[in-house]
Amino acid sequence: MESKIGVKSLAVPGFSADVQALWAVVRREWTIFIRYPSWIIALFIWPVIFPMGYILTARALSGIDGSGLTTFENTTGLTEYVGYIAVGTMIWMWQNIVLWAVGYSLRNEQMRGTLESNWLSPTWRFAYLLGSSIPQLASMFMLMLVSGLEYAFLFRVNFSGSLWLTLLVILAAIPSVYGLGFAFASVVITLKEANAFVFLVRGIVMVFCGITYPLAILPKWMQSVSQWLPQTYIIHAVRTAALSTEGFSGIAFDLKMLVIFGIIWLAFGYLLFNMMERRARQTGAIGQY
Amino acid sequence: MQPQTLSQPALLSHLRALSALIRKDWKQYWRYPLNAVSSVFQPLIWIAPVYFMGQAFSVNGKAIGFSQYSGTTDFMSFILLGTVLESFINAVFWGMGYALKNDMDSGVMESNWLTPIPRLLILVGHSVTNLIVTAITSVGMLLIGGLIFGFNTSGDVWKAFLPIIPMMLGLYGFGFAFAAVVMLMREANTLVDVSSFLVQIFSGSNFPVNALPRFLLPVALALPLTYGLDAVRAHLIGTKTILPLQWEMILLVVFMFVMLWIGTAAFKSLERRVRTLGTLGQH
Repeated sequence: MESKIGVKSLAVPGFSADVQALWAVVRREWTIFIRYPSWIIALFIWPVIFPMGYILTARALSGIDGSGLTTFENTTGLTEYVGYIAVGTMIWMWQNIVLWAVGYSLRNEQMRGTLESNWLSPTWRFAYLLGSSIPQLASMFMLMLVSGLEYAFLFRVNFSGSLWLTLLVILAAIPSVYGLGFAFASVVITLKEANAFVFLVRGIVMVFCGITYPLAILPKWMQSVSQWLPQTYIIHAVRTAALSTEGFSGIAFDLKMLVIFGIIWLAFGYLLFNMMERRARQTGAIGQY
Repeated sequence: MQPQTLSQPALLSHLRALSALIRKDWKQYWRYPLNAVSSVFQPLIWIAPVYFMGQAFSVNGKAIGFSQYSGTTDFMSFILLGTVLESFINAVFWGMGYALKNDMDSGVMESNWLTPIPRLLILVGHSVTNLIVTAITSVGMLLIGGLIFGFNTSGDVWKAFLPIIPMMLGLYGFGFAFAAVVMLMREANTLVDVSSFLVQIFSGSNFPVNALPRFLLPVALALPLTYGLDAVRAHLIGTKTILPLQWEMILLVVFMFVMLWIGTAAFKSLERRVRTLGTLGQH
């Protein structure tokens, strides 16, 4: 006798099957993530050593008698550079990690030879990309928490601003940061040279968004470019929210820009994924590496 | 005449294997030409924030504060030179440890290991293409970096090679030990990134090490690369050295022998352990 109750499985596409597939990807990514315990080292070491390179260079530029520091204060109007550099480099690290982790998620599957077989399953394909972002987002919150604590205790950074406003800025920044990651992952499955693209994108952020210096130092044309990058607003807003007492009014404009950029980047990332995915299937490039 | 093949190990077959490894890596590298372009621009992008930051500390392009530590106000030539040398250092780190990880991921590590080729030769082979590519990209980097940021050298280029030779050979010792750790842990990215970044900071690639806080200075002085970078800069741009140049050369030669010996011993011991555990084919 045939059963009338349909068995809901991944082979019967539907919302529940999509959620199940997404959850499977999240669990797989989390398992891979914790399988290599070196992430613990990265979690504690990177927030310290990455800004340290720039901070120590700034220390050398300051000179033994502090004459360089006086010039810096006169040029920029800033009296303290450690917190300034630490926050700027932290945001850069976030974008960089997202580019590698999310941007590389599909490319890694291509390299392992599992992308084509996954693509043949009747699942929502965007789940592969979205699923890899969720554990990544959780690990990023851990990284930010550890960074904040390390900056406060090791670098003696005075976080005189508001924790809640800082969290608000980070939440507002998520769509832009991950939208860029989705767009990036989509390009990489077709063009394949992932390293070069990561270097290009993170390089643009590094040079134009003022991770270690005020944007006023840049030539005018570079300042114009930086206004089109959401990371410029993220860095400015986090610095204002965490290091100053300006309050909400100091970050209101940045938040508005981040919401606009977030919508644009998420939509662009999703559309680009669909377009590139279709193109890769048509050209047969899905299984190549 | 007996045909000489890889299954009859001899100097010639080892050289053939080495050449095959180099050709394979070379082919694979140039298959992705954008990566080559990015290896010229990537280090320049890393130092761009330092350039703009340095402008804020300088008067008419001269970093007076910086000269109190280094003996030169031309901080960009100091940093550009450090960046080029650091690329060579990374080529050995990445070239060996990371190449093994790539072999593990692509599933060819175990089969390569079964061939009758000395394991250290496989490691050396993996680093050669990287070194050649680094030499090519470094020339591009110096030319473009010189145009953008300015690069002035007044010293003897040939003399500057003297400290580079023992420094690079000693680095192979580091690389052997490091590759063995990658084999054991089966994870390279974090290890390679963190260790090369730390070495970069403490060997003074971007700033004179005497600007380090006192408690960190011993770490810098314990690294042979610190003396290598210091000696090359002294020859090329006339910076102040930490120790007299002759002493730095002697230290580099001693470090070279010690590191090659320790690195080889560590690699052999850890490689045996990985084979005993049977994890060679895993990733």
